[in-house]
Amino acid sequence: MEKLENIILKLGSIDRRIIFLIIGLAVLIPLLRPVDLPIRPGPSSQQVYDAIDSIPDNSKVLISFDYGPSTRPEIHPMTLGVMRQLLDQNRGHKIYVTCLWPDGLYMAKDALKTINKEYTLEKYEDYVLLGFRPGYEAVIKGLENNLRAVYTVDADLTSIDDIPMMEGINSLEDFDFIFSGSAGYPGSLEWVLYGPTTVPLSSGTTSIQVNEVLPYVQSGQLKGILAGMPGAAEYEALVGKKGIATSGMAAQSYGHIVIILFIILGNLAYFIKERRERKY
Amino acid sequence: MFLRRTIPIFIVGFFGAFTLFGWFIENESIKAFINDDATQWYDIIASFAIFLGALNLLKLQSLKVLKRQSGWQYSLIAILSFLYVFVIGFFMRGAFFVEISSIPSNPDPMINLVNETTALELNSSYFVDVNNENPFRIEVPFYTDSSADDFVAQLASLGVNSAVVPTPWGAHIQTSGGLFKWMFDNIFTPLSATMFALLAFFVASASYRAFKARNFEATLLLLAGIIIMIGRVPVGSLISSWFVMYLTVLGVGVVLSGLVRDRRIIFGWVLFGLLFVTILGMQMGWPIDKPTMFFLPALQEWIYMVPNVAGARAIMIGIGLGIIITSLRYIFGLEKSYIGDQ
Repeated sequence: MEKLENIILKLGSIDRRIIFLIIGLAVLIPLLRPVDLPIRPGPSSQQVYDAIDSIPDNSKVLISFDYGPSTRPEIHPMTLGVMRQLLDQNRGHKIYVTCLWPDGLYMAKDALKTINKEYTLEKYEDYVLLGFRPGYEAVIKGLENNLRAVYTVDADLTSIDDIPMMEGINSLEDFDFIFSGSAGYPGSLEWVLYGPTTVPLSSGTTSIQVNEVLPYVQSGQLKGILAGMPGAAEYEALVGKKGIATSGMAAQSYGHIVIILFIILGNLAYFIKERRERKY
Repeated sequence: MFLRRTIPIFIVGFFGAFTLFGWFIENESIKAFINDDATQWYDIIASFAIFLGALNLLKLQSLKVLKRQSGWQYSLIAILSFLYVFVIGFFMRGAFFVEISSIPSNPDPMINLVNETTALELNSSYFVDVNNENPFRIEVPFYTDSSADDFVAQLASLGVNSAVVPTPWGAHIQTSGGLFKWMFDNIFTPLSATMFALLAFFVASASYRAFKARNFEATLLLLAGIIIMIGRVPVGSLISSWFVMYLTVLGVGVVLSGLVRDRRIIFGWVLFGLLFVTILGMQMGWPIDKPTMFFLPALQEWIYMVPNVAGARAIMIGIGLGIIITSLRYIFGLEKSYIGDQ
């Protein structure tokens, strides 16, 4: 028994570089050799899906890309999933893309490139990339009061007045649904606080951000939430198109298991040490 | 004194009060000010703040380099990176296209030159309808005006009429193949992703060292953390709720052993618990997700939606009250840190 305890104690003071190596392997191996794990859509993800599903035909949907490349693996599958759901149904929905983050513009361009490969879309008829505007929550406030004052041209410098699908769009109130792919400030919270109260709003966030957004989901101000990479994977399952989030779930699963094993090991070592110190 | 203190305090107090109380006044002009003008003022002031921020960054990092303080090499990289982005963004543009408006009778040498220079795989069919009204744009931009000019000169020597078309300012930062986009795709994106990915390693190392069941609160945090971590991922839905029930029985036994000296009571609890779970399982047919309260995904959802949201709400209300108090301090001129007072 003492031998086993000594081994646990040794493992309890393991060098952190070894921990890094094990975590690295636990994440890397499932990425290289994908494992198919069952994805069960949770209530929050289902709520987002149902909310988008229930919007009327020919709706105008605003998608805000409020994230950058660092959180791309988590948020990008969500924005892609929402676009796919809108376009899969072939119900004449139109997609308007804005960005509160400067690097969100690149994410939006990339997402639209991907979507354009999958669907036959007409720029300015099916979608428009309005682009980035600086000002954080002031942009949302401005969009709510007068969208055309904030966006006089789109991301390709085409005048808003010359874009057919912008006809009748003067403020955020003119949209039928808003979705924010958010990785922090400005993002989901700002859309809730400064966005219109009459337009259904939903969001996809990083796992870190979920806690501060959840109260707004319970209050009904947000129609569900896609929470981190698991939320993205759940949404991919709901839309029926597996992607990077689904393949990332195996890596995240094994990563979490390894972390939990380390926590258990650390605690065992802690209790053994405590007991021995009490003895002497 | 009057100019440096009284007037700024008056301006802040007046506009703070005006913007706050304006919400309660039914007047179109006041509403327009709050909704439009104040927002645009914020944008303008924020734009100037970017200049201040950039100058401050340069000043601090330059001082660090000049004084050779520890880590000055990183400051040097920061300055060079700043200048690189600044120069491309404001002066170089980094995206110049070449448009061909007429081609010679034998276009093959031209096509070879275009393909060699741009790594495209064009053929003569691309140039069938090319003329002054309908020029052909080579969709690979040149980084500099001079390199595009050189290419136009090379084309001219083959009898091709072409011209350099710079990408409009503003659009140049998002032009695919442009220098700014290249920087974003090949430097900024991998660096950002790397920084964020490192979190996994730090979380693992930190939780290994810090997540210790030292007392009741720490144990609660530890258990909640483990349930969230495992319940959020698909592996969690593979763990039967019956396994969790057995673990719960044993866990309660461990807790009892610290509270009750009589080992027969502990043994009795564990035996009763294990038997109870087994009989219940046999009765119910061992469904993996029943009883729901022991199914990890459902348990983590409950933790997320009930105690977690309660805590988050408390924090939010606290922050809200703090914002109100701070705002009132600004309006009444009690908070003066923005003019340098402590």
